[in-house]
Formats: sequence, structure tokens, C-alpha cells
Amino acid sequence: MDLETEAEKNIEIWKVKKLIQGLQKARGNGTSMISLVIPPKGQISIIQKMLTDEYGTASNIKSRVNRLSVLSAITSTQQKLKLYTKVPPNGLVLYCGDMITDEGKEKKVTYDIEPYKPINTSLYMCDNKFHTEVLSELLEADDKFGFIVMDGQGTLFGLLSGNTRTVLHKFTVDLPKKHGRGGQSAVRFARLREEKRHNYVRKVAEVAVQNFIANDKVTVKGLILAGSADFKTDLNKSELFDQRLQSRVIKIVDVSYGGENGFNQAIELSAETLANVKFVQEKKLLTEYFDEISQDTGKFCYGIDDTLKALDLGAVETLIVYENLETIRYTFKDAEDKEIIRFAEPNATDKSYAIDKATGQEMEVIEEKPFVEWLAESYKDYGATLEFITNKSSEGAQFVTGFGGIGGILRYKVNFEQLIEDSEDEYYDDDDEVESDYDFI
Amino acid sequence: MSGQEQQADKTQQNQANPTQGGGYQQYQQYNQGQGYQQYNQGGYQQYNQGQAGYQQYNQQGYQQYNQQGGYQQYNQAAGYQQYNQQGGYQPQYNQQQVQGYRQNYNKGRGGYKNYNNRNNYNNSYNNGSNYNQNAYMNSQPFQPQQNQGMTLEDFQKQQQSTVTDTKPKKTLKLVSSSGIKLANATKKSEKKKEEEPKAAESKEDAKPVTKEEGKPAAKEEEKKTDLPAVEKLSISDDTKESSVPSIIPSTSAPAGGSDALVKEQEDEVDEEVVKDMFGGKDHVSIIFMGHVDAGKSTMGGNLLYLTGSVDKRTVEKYEREAKDAGRQGWYLSWVMDTNKEERNDGKTIEVGRAYFETEKRRYTILDAPGHKMYVSEMIGGASQADVGILVISARKGEYETGFEKGGQTREHALLAKTQGVNNMIVVVNKMDDPTVNWSKERYDQCVSNITNFLKAIGYNVKEDVIFMPVSGFSGAGLKDRVDSKTCPWYTGPALLEYLDSMTHVDRHINSPFMLPISGKMKDMGTVVEGKIESGHIKKGQSTLMMPNKIPIEIQNIYNETENEVEMAICGEQVKLRIKGVEEEDISPGFVLTSPKNPIKNVTRFVAQIAIVELKSIMSAGFSCVMHVHTAIEEVTITRLLHKLEKGTNRKSKKPPAFAKKGMKIIALLETEEPVCIETYEDYPQLGRFTLRDQGTTIAIGKIVKTIS
Repeated sequence: MDLETEAEKNIEIWKVKKLIQGLQKARGNGTSMISLVIPPKGQISIIQKMLTDEYGTASNIKSRVNRLSVLSAITSTQQKLKLYTKVPPNGLVLYCGDMITDEGKEKKVTYDIEPYKPINTSLYMCDNKFHTEVLSELLEADDKFGFIVMDGQGTLFGLLSGNTRTVLHKFTVDLPKKHGRGGQSAVRFARLREEKRHNYVRKVAEVAVQNFIANDKVTVKGLILAGSADFKTDLNKSELFDQRLQSRVIKIVDVSYGGENGFNQAIELSAETLANVKFVQEKKLLTEYFDEISQDTGKFCYGIDDTLKALDLGAVETLIVYENLETIRYTFKDAEDKEIIRFAEPNATDKSYAIDKATGQEMEVIEEKPFVEWLAESYKDYGATLEFITNKSSEGAQFVTGFGGIGGILRYKVNFEQLIEDSEDEYYDDDDEVESDYDFI
Repeated sequence: MSGQEQQADKTQQNQANPTQGGGYQQYQQYNQGQGYQQYNQGGYQQYNQGQAGYQQYNQQGYQQYNQQGGYQQYNQAAGYQQYNQQGGYQPQYNQQQVQGYRQNYNKGRGGYKNYNNRNNYNNSYNNGSNYNQNAYMNSQPFQPQQNQGMTLEDFQKQQQSTVTDTKPKKTLKLVSSSGIKLANATKKSEKKKEEEPKAAESKEDAKPVTKEEGKPAAKEEEKKTDLPAVEKLSISDDTKESSVPSIIPSTSAPAGGSDALVKEQEDEVDEEVVKDMFGGKDHVSIIFMGHVDAGKSTMGGNLLYLTGSVDKRTVEKYEREAKDAGRQGWYLSWVMDTNKEERNDGKTIEVGRAYFETEKRRYTILDAPGHKMYVSEMIGGASQADVGILVISARKGEYETGFEKGGQTREHALLAKTQGVNNMIVVVNKMDDPTVNWSKERYDQCVSNITNFLKAIGYNVKEDVIFMPVSGFSGAGLKDRVDSKTCPWYTGPALLEYLDSMTHVDRHINSPFMLPISGKMKDMGTVVEGKIESGHIKKGQSTLMMPNKIPIEIQNIYNETENEVEMAICGEQVKLRIKGVEEEDISPGFVLTSPKNPIKNVTRFVAQIAIVELKSIMSAGFSCVMHVHTAIEEVTITRLLHKLEKGTNRKSKKPPAFAKKGMKIIALLETEEPVCIETYEDYPQLGRFTLRDQGTTIAIGKIVKTIS
């Protein structure tokens, strides 16, 4: 798969994700929300027949309101289905029903989704919500890798799948330190110490089974052992460690800490082995971006304003966007009928962005849509590739909190005005010890 | 307390007494101290040696402390006392004398941190007659002062009580005097007697004054007012040794806090106890650090062997065993590396601890692992050390690797500095190796490289760092000086010799009690260990464990030698058996603290950070691991506030979007779990931290403000 389509696939995935988020929130009146999943080799006509049967059953519903809404939902599902002559190669997912909006009004929605991957389930459900599990599974279907980060303080069991990194379990342990006590009990202390360590390895081995083996099957594709001292190798060699897991160990890495930080470092160190995992790709991309910054090449931008400028210049090579960026893109019409575009956070109390500077009046909203969606639609016009990232990796978190969740790697150096803006009086004078330094607290 | 802070205190004092310089004040205290000493007819020496540091700290540290609230009464008491004394003195002194003394004083002060300048004191004071005269003068002016401060009745009552109180204490502290003081001793003996009551009076002076002001906690004040006198004693001393005993009585009041406690302690401290406890020697923790295989453990083992802390038989046994295990020549490191894994691999994994004594001092050795993987262990060790010994292998090739990128020589030295190890001894090890063979060129080459490097980190190479060639394996240069035949070009002291003569580090004896827990175990109850960072602790005393705020009681105190003691003071490594908490509820990084002034317990704080090594960039959202005292916590930078201009340290008006290598920034940091920290200003040891990520040290910093 070449890069271009890979990126497109990612955007596809992102769209599905967004959709799922929306569907999950939707609630309907009574049991009028229809979720329909047809596997790749299903037949439209059979489904149509089933829907007709359901229509007959539903007309017996006592409650008038519920009956009407269910019937209308089934009808629209049938109508939607008529648009397909045959089931698409990857199957088909249909959602249809009356959802209640925030204002308490009913809104009829119909979604037909062609999954980007074959979907091997069949489902028909009438409920007061949409059933999105199938789609969520679809997203998670990437290879899973297990991590055991083990050191003298405790152990962490983690899972890396796609671009999600989860901590399954962690526990701490108290092992006796190197002892200074001696005398005739020195041997006893040494023995006690050995025993404790042995028990620790046993415990880790047992918990590993609980976490990575379900129904007698190993749930992960590969297992990575990490740790700061010899524990990880002890574990790997130990008879107590399940054979099935042992055969899946693909790498043993040295990390300097346990816990989350150790987990992160373990992912970093096993990046080569995990090169195909989305999470690692994401890290790589961001590292590249940060390198541009730290080397001061000028071939980077961040923040909405700069990024848009760079996009307009056609300078953006890779556009990096946080997938859950909440900023909304408003299109207003001002007094002179010109279109004005503004960006704002959805819950901002300050509505000044909607004010026309010339007249002081609130402008008319023509369009309101999430910025990310707009980018997903129009990035191609600017000749950029779009990459979505999560805030799950440490780099991702940094990008989201530190750089506002949007930025790009540029083809050439662009001098943004803002950089020149106030280089003169950048620092406080010595005696300028301002009390307000910590006002934000 | 850093030199700057001292300076600050100084200026405060000066402001308080505009007519007199700070030095003058000190001087007076000094005189008084001398008075005591003489009165007690020697015996003091031992104590006083090396005490200067303590006392300085006490005086100044106290005031500072007080200003921060809580102990107001103290402050005033102390302040008053000094003030009064000075008032009395002024007319008597001729300016020249004052000047002269002040100069001396100042000289000494420059070296406080290191105490290298101690001799100044001696020299100047030993001028005998001069001194005596002054001392004499002191005694006279005091009388009127008392009258000023209080009514006669008051005074007399108190005089009776305190004089009796104080006298025994003073005698307690006197051990044997020697050296310099002796010269004066005969002359002074009479005067001492005069001075003694005077001193007592002066204390009383302070008391009544504060009482009149209607401050509570008179008892404490009394204690406190004792303090200065005690402190004065030691200022004069030159060599340091058991500073401990003299301090005890004074410290109890401030640290303990409550009246009852103070009384209790007053009662308890008697001569035998003090003697038993400290045997007249003070305690120093030293840490061996350096690149892997530089010979840290071997040197530690050899030191133990040479000082007789490990008997010959054991060492011979190790030698045999090591030979059997095919690790001939490693037997000395086996003394320190007790674990099977450590012996098998020949590398230390955990920080090893050992204890030895010389005629002059008690030492705890901390043997840090040199391997890159275990740097986090090493940081924990460094946080407990007073003096760092940077071991550098002179062997061809090894020396170079230690300094390459990723070599630990560099990282360790930096970490030690950030953990508050200001005194550094750089030992160039393996001088006996065939590739080196005590070559002066090689040694000079090593030294010059390291010098540049240490300078870059911020060590004052002239004052805080000393270099010496040794051989950890053969023992040359450790206990005894290197044979002049093998090494004619080095005439400096041997390692132990230097350690013994080293001047003392600052101790926060009068601050509230604080002990970060470095380890714990179950041994007929819950036992925790750690180094007392400030204040002191007494058996039976109740303290508070942070961050879970559990009140606990100290049941037993064990010192380095596993002996039970009655009390321990700042700077010592102790094991405490505690009641009130289960072992499972404790983890390293918790802090035992005085209930009155508990350590701050926060998840958010503002810190100044200097980035030393960072591949990419640091921005808000950056997470890494923070080492602060013995605690290791994951920390996230939630907001960058300012960057600091290079050189001038001026703050930027706008927060930077990101920070990269070499930058200094002020940022808001957040931890997941609450951590026990203090601001750097208040408690440097508990307010400095190191940030690490991906196995490298990326930044160092100090806490500017805690946010609760």
C-alpha cells in the first residue's frame, strides 16, 4: 500500500471514529433506532424481506407514538437499502431512526456506511440507541502487542493496539533492598531476599496469564518484556512463565524506570519491531516534527492561524491534526455580504468572534462545522497530506497541550509575522519583578 | 543554607541594627562563646571543632525561619538578645577592634560552606591578649543591659533558674580542649567565670523582653535564647568534630515545637547520653560515583578493609570465593556488592551502604551503581550524601569512555550537583595500571579535562573540588599517602586524610524535623531509613508522615552502626522504628516531618528548569520522571510560563511555545500523586529535582513555588 492511500485510509478511519462518537450519543424515542449490519456475502433481497416482516410485526405495537416512529424508521431503512443493488465487498452498515436533539426536537437520521475492512457480523436491532460495537471492533482490529514492564518496584501490563495504548494492570511490590546486615544471619537474609524475588517473578507470570490469555488463547500478537534489572530475563527464562506466552516474546528491552514512563520507553525502544503499528508511526511523525522545531529549521508551523497561512501558501507538506480537536469553523456573512471565517472553541463564553468589527453587530452564521472536518474535506486543495494523531503517546500529549493540536511540517521555510512581532522587549527588566507572575493559579 | 541566603540574612541583621555591621554582631556572639568555653575549662574543643557551621546556621537560619511565620516569639527573643548585647558593647569597643574582627569574620564567612577558611578564626583569636581583653570587656557591659531588658525581680528569678539550667548543659558539652585554645586557657580561666554568668544573664535578658511583649511559649523562648550562646561557643572553633552534642540542647526547642516536648528534652539530655551517642565524632556521608567499572565498589571495599571495618578473614574468604568464581581481583568490590547478581556480573545494581570510622569521624559510604541503567538508583544515593567522590579511571580507554556521550562520569557529576553534593573529591583511580603507571602526564590530562567539565556544571573548582591520584585496588593514596618513590609528583593528602580534615557542610539543625524515607523494612515493627535533612529527632517523639498525614511515634532510633541511640540530628543516616503505620502504607519518597510545620504536599508546583540534554523539545504536555529527594514521580509539564534570558536570567514576558536544550524556563508542573516538596529557598535539599526521560537526565530544576 503506498503512502497516499495509507493516509487516506487513516482519514477514513478517523471519519468512522467521529461517526461512532456521534451515534453513541444519540438517543431515540422508544425503540425506534434501527442498527443493521450486513456481512460481505449477504443478499439485499433477503434483508428486504426481513424488513417487510418486521414492518408487519411493528404495526402491532400498542403505543401510537412508538409504533409510528418504528414504522417510519423501517420504511426509511428499506428506502436506503433500495439504493444498493448488491452488498458492497466489505459489507454494509445502516443506521436509521429518530434521534432527539439537544433542544428536545426529533431529528430523522439515516447513515449508510461501507466499512473499509470486511465486517463479518450480521445484526438487526431495534433499540432506543444505535449499536456501534461492530464498528468499534473494526477500529480495534489492528494487531495487539502486549508489554510487561517489570522492575524492582512493580510491574505494569500494557497493551498497544493501533494507535491506542492501554494499561491493563499494574501492581507494586516491596522487595527487600540490598542489605547491610550481616553476622550469622547474613545467609538467612540473603535467602529471604531470594525467596521474595522468586515469588515476585511467580506473581508476574501468573498475572501475565490473566492478562494475555483468554479462552486458552493468547490475545496478543507479540509480547515485549521490559525492565530495569534482571527481572525481565528471569521471567523469560522462568518455568513459571506460560509457554504460550513465552513463544510470543518478540523483544526484551532495557528501560530505566518502571510504570508508565517505562512503558513509553519500551514502546520507543521496540519501535523497529512494531514499525507497522499506528501508534509507533504516530510517534515517529511527531518526533520528526519536533526535530524540525528543535533544530530551528523554520520548516514548521503550529497554531490555527499560522497553519492556515502556511496552507494558503501551499507550503505545508504534512498537516498534523489532533483527532479530537474541538475548534469550530464558522462562516459568517457580514454587513457587506462578504464571507468571513472565524474559529472558536465550542464552549467559549466570549462570543466576540461573531461580532462584525465594522458595525459592532452580530453577524449571520452561514455555516458552522468542526474545523477538523473541514480540514478532512479540503486538505487536498492545499496539496498537503493529512495525518491525525491522538494524545495517547507522550509526544501526542505534548503536541496537543503545547501546540494547540494543529501544526504542520513545511516544504520550505516560512517567516511568520508573529515571530518578528516583539523580539525587542522580550524580557522583563531586572527590577521588574512582577507579582502577577503566578496569577494564573 | 546557601551562601546567598546567608548573605541575605546578614543584610537583614544589618538593617535591624543599623549602627553596627553584621560582622560586629557575630563578633560579639563569638566573644560570648569564648567565655563559655573558657569557663568550662577546656573539654570543649572537641565539640567546638567543626561547629562553626552549625552555629552559623542556627543563628541565621533561625531568623529566617521565624520570619516565615510560626515561630515569631523565637525570633524576637533572639533578636532582642543580640540587640541588647550590642547595645552594651558599643560604647566599650573601640572601632578599630571591631573592624579587625569583622574582617576576620567576613573572611571566615566566605568559606562557610566549605569551611576552608577556618584557620582565620584561630589565627586571629589566638592572638591571645587581644582576645582576652575583648572578652573581659564583654563581661562588664552586660550588667546594665539586664536592667534594660527587664525588672530586677524577673531577672533574678530567671537567673536562678536558667543559670542552673544552663550550667550543666555547658559542662556537658565540654569535652577536652586542645590546640589553639590551650594557649589562652590559663589566662582566661578567671574571666570565663565572669563571663559565664554573664552569658546566662544575657539569655535571661531576652526572655523577659519577650515575655513583656506578651508572647506565649515562653519556655521555648528560653530554650531559644540559650541557643545563641551555645552557638557562639562553636563559632570560634576550628577543626570540626562532634558538633552534635553542643547543638542538641539548643535544637530541641525549635524542632520539637511544643512546650511540653521542650521541657521533656531539657530534662533528658545529660552528659552520659550525649557522650554515648556520639562518641565525640561527627558523621559524614560520602558517595562514590563515576562511570561503570571505574572502581567505585573496589575502592569502597578497600576503604572498609583499611579502616578495619571489615576484618581480614572476611576479605580473605571473599578472595578465595572470587577466585573460585573466576573473578580474581574483584574480591574487594565484593565487600560492597553483596548480591549474587551483582557479584556475578561484577557491577553494582543497588546503592550499597557501609559504615566505617576513623579517629576523627564517622562515615557512611554510599556506593552508587555506575551502569547507565541504574542511574535512578544513583540519584537516590546522591540525595543522601554530603560529599561526593567522583571516581575516574585513568586506564587508557576507560577514562575516555567515561566522558563520551552516554558516559556516566558526566551525568553523575551533574546529578550529584543537583542533589546538593557540593563538595567533590575527584580521585583518579587505577594509577597503578600498566598503561598509566603513575604517570604525571596522564594524571594532569585527566585533571585538566575534568576541571573544565566540572566548571561547566557549576562547581567552584578552586574551593569545592580536590583532585588526587589513587589506586583503589592496591590501596595507595586511600589511607596512607602514595609512596613518594612511585609517585614523586603528588604531595597532597591521601583520601582519608583529606576527608578527616575536611570542613563541614551546613546542617539545618534548628529547622523543623524532616526525613525523606529512602527505605523501609519489617523488623519487629515498621522500620524506615533515611537521612535527616533538617532538624533532629528524639526517641519517643511524635512526628507526622506525609503525604498520608499519619501521626506516628518514634519508638527506636538506630544509627549507622545499628546501635540504638536516644536522638539523632540533621545529616545523619538513621533507621527509625515507628509506631502508627504499617509497612505496606509507606513508600520511598514519603517524608517524616514535624507536626507543627509539616512539609508541603502538593501535586502542582512552579519550578525553574534548566534543560541540559534533550533530543527533541519540551512543551506543555511533556511528561517525564522527576527525582526529588528520595521520591521518584512521573511529572507532566502543564504550562510553560517564562523563559529566562541567557546570562541575565531575566524573565520573558511571553511564555515560550516550547523549550529546547540549553534553555532555562519557568514552568508549571503537575504530578499524578501528591509529592512532598518544599521550595528551594526554604529547604534546598527538598526543593531541587532532576528530570529524566528515556534513560537520560534531561533537566535539572528548583522549586519556586508550591501550589496547594
